[in-house]
Amino acid sequence: MSAGGVAARVRLPCAAACLAALAGCATFSDTIQSTERSLAQQQPKAALSEYEKLKPSAADRVLYLMNTGMLERMCGDYDASTRTLESTKGQIEQLRALSLREQALSVTVNDATKAFTGEDYERVMVNNYLALNYLEQGQLDAARVEALQVDVLLREKQQRTSRDNPYSEDAFARYLSGIVYEDEGEWSDAMIAYRKAYEAYKKQLKAFGVAMPETLKHDLIRLADRMGIADEAKRYREEFEIDETMSEADLLERGEIIYMVHAGLAPLKREKAITAPNPATGRIIRVAVPQYHSRAQSFGYANLSADSRSAKTSRVENIDAIAVRTLESEMPAITARTIARAIAKDTLASAASNSGNNSSGAALFGMAVNLAGVFTERADTRSWFTLPGEIHLARLALPPGEYTLKVELHGKDERVLDTKEIKIALRKGEKKYLSRHWIPTNLEVRP
Amino acid sequence: MNAYRSLRAGLVLLALVAASACSTKVERLDESKAVDLSGGWNDTDSRMVSQEMIQDSLARPWLQEFRGRPGQNRPAVIVGEVRNLSHEHINVNTFTLDLERALINSGKVDFVATKDERKGIRDERKDQDINARGDTRNAMGKELGADFMLTGTINTIVDPNGDEQLLFYQVNMTLISLADNRKVWVGQKDIKKLVTRSKMRF
Repeated sequence: MSAGGVAARVRLPCAAACLAALAGCATFSDTIQSTERSLAQQQPKAALSEYEKLKPSAADRVLYLMNTGMLERMCGDYDASTRTLESTKGQIEQLRALSLREQALSVTVNDATKAFTGEDYERVMVNNYLALNYLEQGQLDAARVEALQVDVLLREKQQRTSRDNPYSEDAFARYLSGIVYEDEGEWSDAMIAYRKAYEAYKKQLKAFGVAMPETLKHDLIRLADRMGIADEAKRYREEFEIDETMSEADLLERGEIIYMVHAGLAPLKREKAITAPNPATGRIIRVAVPQYHSRAQSFGYANLSADSRSAKTSRVENIDAIAVRTLESEMPAITARTIARAIAKDTLASAASNSGNNSSGAALFGMAVNLAGVFTERADTRSWFTLPGEIHLARLALPPGEYTLKVELHGKDERVLDTKEIKIALRKGEKKYLSRHWIPTNLEVRP
Repeated sequence: MNAYRSLRAGLVLLALVAASACSTKVERLDESKAVDLSGGWNDTDSRMVSQEMIQDSLARPWLQEFRGRPGQNRPAVIVGEVRNLSHEHINVNTFTLDLERALINSGKVDFVATKDERKGIRDERKDQDINARGDTRNAMGKELGADFMLTGTINTIVDPNGDEQLLFYQVNMTLISLADNRKVWVGQKDIKKLVTRSKMRF
């Protein structure tokens, strides 16, 4: 029997088996479904134990820590979450250096063999959520440490990336830093951070669609007044059309509730792949790239009320858009790597089928190499999926005393999604930080 | 035969290398030896700063001046809050304890227990009041009030540039007279580090 005959006869069932096996072989986003299901059922504790069952490879360690830290936070275990997220920072730091071994693997096998260190926005989010953990536990100085670290991280990032990168600044991180400095009574640092947040919101409006938060408008005017920068305060008043705002002195006579809603989940990375036989050579070629799928987001805003006073949240961060834009800006590099890899794999398979004297053996060997190449061609779908899709924030100043704070979550269609009452005691000049993770029961991804 | 022998030797060597790579290795170090791993604030910095600070403060005129006052011998000092305003989560407790130790061991000042410690001691005295034998009982209201309070801050300036990072730590300590809020001594110690990150890993 001719070598070509053997090869032809084996090729078809082999290709079919290969496709079937591919469907069974899972990328990262396929392994987290049970965790997601528990989250949608509003059971973060079950989600955490589901997630902890996954045994991460060394390359996925950082990702595993990020998700675990966030799930622990959702469970209300702030100490564990803080420990986990702090160790995430250490791990990322260790993985900064370039690994030639991983580079080689990513060119010959796939991108998911590289150690996950998170996108820039994910690294910033580690600091943001640590800061929130500390704030909600009343450790203001520790939150200040995070604010300083975020500043170093963002400065480093701005040196590295080009100016037209949509995510060159994190508006929410700057805003949160400003709130921390203001709480510390460091007015000039607070003013600078608020100003940076203002500039970032303005610059990124088109890319991420987050309008200037209502609270920030008042914060800018209040701080500019406090610092005695009259012309800047006037400029803000005119721009935002605000006449009346509470002065810093008045605010310090009151307590303040800073309420945040972490709504929905970050988009999910899925694989987009094409597997096709090349009619010229008879070998199979496969190209797989990641693609983000946004999730349904039904949350609109939250309304806080205590006594006769009330406040409405405004959106301060759109993680969904940041993630999608970040991947978009990286797509050219990912595509180039994927094509280079497809060519390398095909060249290898071609060399294998032409090797040796025994031609039918060589043909089989070539096919095996071809199939191995096809099997391993998977997109890197790793992402911090437990991050919220959006973050919303409200500030409510109240005279010292005890209150029952009523929190109403509204959908985009004004429908009330959830109501909750919290007993709270406020001292003069005290700021209380409260967070709520809200995950819809329908986590369906948009196509 | 020769080839077989060298192959066996090679395998044994490989096994040894593999085994040594797997097992956890612990090495005891002299606690005064400076070991820098990440470039962050560590025990060496804490000890160095506290020793130099206290040496400096004890050599200054406020001590002589206090001793010169009628009826005064050694000033009583308390360590107040040392605030961490740096960009790292520094364990301020070990630094405070280093300060205390350096001060007490100098023998030139008396040291008063901190706020939290005092609470525990008072509870113990209360307990003695009820349960201890009369001649061993320690009465309340005989505590030594502090004359001075030591407070401080740890600040940093970070200048990152690619794989290099310039870290500048500045520790400021102030000794304040509790009688009249006078600052009798202000000390400062700077540490500058250049951290170069490795560009390659396995």
